[in-house]
Amino acid sequence: MSAGGVLLAGCKNGGSPAAPAAPPRVSIVRAPAYDQSLYDTMRRILASHGLDVRGRSVVLKPNLVEYEAATSINTHPLVVHAAYEAFMAAGAASVRIAEGPGHRRNTLDLAEAAGYFQVIPKFEDLFVDLNLDDVTRVRPKGRFSRISKLYLPNTVLGAGLLVSMPKMKTHHLVGATLSMKNLFGTVPGGVYGWPKNALHWAGINECVADLQTIYPRKFAIVDGIVGMEGNGPIQGVPKPVGLVVTGEDPVAVDATCCRIMRIDPFQIGYLGLAAADISEIAEQGIVQTGESIASVATPFALIPLFKGLRMA
Amino acid sequence: MSTEALIRKQNRDGGWPYVAGGSWTEPTVLAILALESAGETAPAERGVAWLRSLVRSDGGWPPRREVDQSSWVTALVTLLGPEQIGAAAHRRAIAWLLDTTGEETTVLFRFREWLLGNDTPVSDPRFPAWPWLPGTAAWVGPTSIAILALDKENRRQPAAAIRRRIDAGRQFLLSRACDEGGWNHGAPAPLGYPAPPYPETTGMALAALRGIQAPQVDRGLTAAERFLAECRSADALNWLRFGLRVHGRLPAGYCTPSGVIYRTVPETSLDLVMTAAEQGNDRIWG
Repeated sequence: MSAGGVLLAGCKNGGSPAAPAAPPRVSIVRAPAYDQSLYDTMRRILASHGLDVRGRSVVLKPNLVEYEAATSINTHPLVVHAAYEAFMAAGAASVRIAEGPGHRRNTLDLAEAAGYFQVIPKFEDLFVDLNLDDVTRVRPKGRFSRISKLYLPNTVLGAGLLVSMPKMKTHHLVGATLSMKNLFGTVPGGVYGWPKNALHWAGINECVADLQTIYPRKFAIVDGIVGMEGNGPIQGVPKPVGLVVTGEDPVAVDATCCRIMRIDPFQIGYLGLAAADISEIAEQGIVQTGESIASVATPFALIPLFKGLRMA
Repeated sequence: MSTEALIRKQNRDGGWPYVAGGSWTEPTVLAILALESAGETAPAERGVAWLRSLVRSDGGWPPRREVDQSSWVTALVTLLGPEQIGAAAHRRAIAWLLDTTGEETTVLFRFREWLLGNDTPVSDPRFPAWPWLPGTAAWVGPTSIAILALDKENRRQPAAAIRRRIDAGRQFLLSRACDEGGWNHGAPAPLGYPAPPYPETTGMALAALRGIQAPQVDRGLTAAERFLAECRSADALNWLRFGLRVHGRLPAGYCTPSGVIYRTVPETSLDLVMTAAEQGNDRIWG
């Protein structure tokens, strides 16, 4: 926690400085390919984070957007299945896979085209289409946007742990789409349409920040084995990176991913809004394990609109 | 999913879920249309009763009971006609549709953009169309459904105001056509990068453009025929059948390919509705 943060916390506590929060921890693990080694990699990742999921209901939320099989739009099903197996082995009471795509209504057709049925046994039994799930009205705590209430799927609201599993991609409206932006897929199209335009009108950065305040128990697993650069998140080109980036603090995970992509995380609007403290974004405020950023960073091509995001 | 399975899916409250769980407006309307086309009036009537209980004070319908906002599903409900949802409710729903436009063509938004110095309009203000939810932009999907609803009403009781909105909505659709033919859910080239068409929205747009002759329609029909041959999505095939049929381009005796899986109530329902329509019993157009 920064000095300023400690001072503020002390003021809130009536003058007694609060104990500084543990710095967020992000791990960067090399994963060169979508192959069977991912299963062991994922188990080691979970163990290294010391996540206790025994008896908890886990919901894995990948990113499914379009049917294009030859591109790197969607979270790879092998990454999702490796996570599924790892959480089950770690004692989770249940592991579901859930997503609410924002462009195409036929979610299971999309999942089939993305290879999920082939890779994940009994996929349809495990899957929840968040666009069509029963919903509950919630009021975002952060209130960064003008949205005073959201109707959100019961499956994610009731999750013991919500695991955001995005692709590592650039984004043509907000610069980068990672574990935080991925949670747009929890907003149901059955209520908000395809796309979920209400979120765009209320401010994408602001809504990304609001969604972070709604789900208290989160973990992020970023599929950076092959990401997307250029005109992401759909029309970009594949960018091999060979990494899986994980952590319990989505702001810190996304800030780390940005650095890997050579994007300045301080210029990503939703990171600044959602960070409880600047140290969540600052490299020196994050405990980095595994590979160093310097050893794996590779600049992602940016559309002209976002040239200013490039890290020096 | 058969008609019998559709009936078994009906919730106790009379509505239908998309797949399981609570009742939603869209699958309920489509299930009603499907069961009526199959002569199953009792479950259809229970569905209508559920729908009638959902109408909101502004005349619109919400996507489901818990949501306190009217949405695009209002257009779907009006397809059932005043005999079913009630004359007053139907009239108010049509009024709600006529009053609803994409936010980007409202006077207030355009004035704000002018104040900000944004000279390039998001959409042509001469062609207001329909959003998923009020307060947001117009899109191909809800615009197509709204045109279907208003077109049906205009044939029942012609009105200049309805005609104007239909014509403007169709111009919106024509302006959103992809260069290669067909439609995706919105702009053909967001941020200047051409986006490909989708089969389901191509079918929807073509259905809404019934009777319209234009190069965009011709290219759209060519794209739809290609999609029909390649596609294995139940939802997309339903809409492609609809769009091609109303332009006389659905192959005679068309059968959906084997292996197409109908997973949701809307997919099954729309398949039954389309099949009945192709056999001369059109529950959407009446």
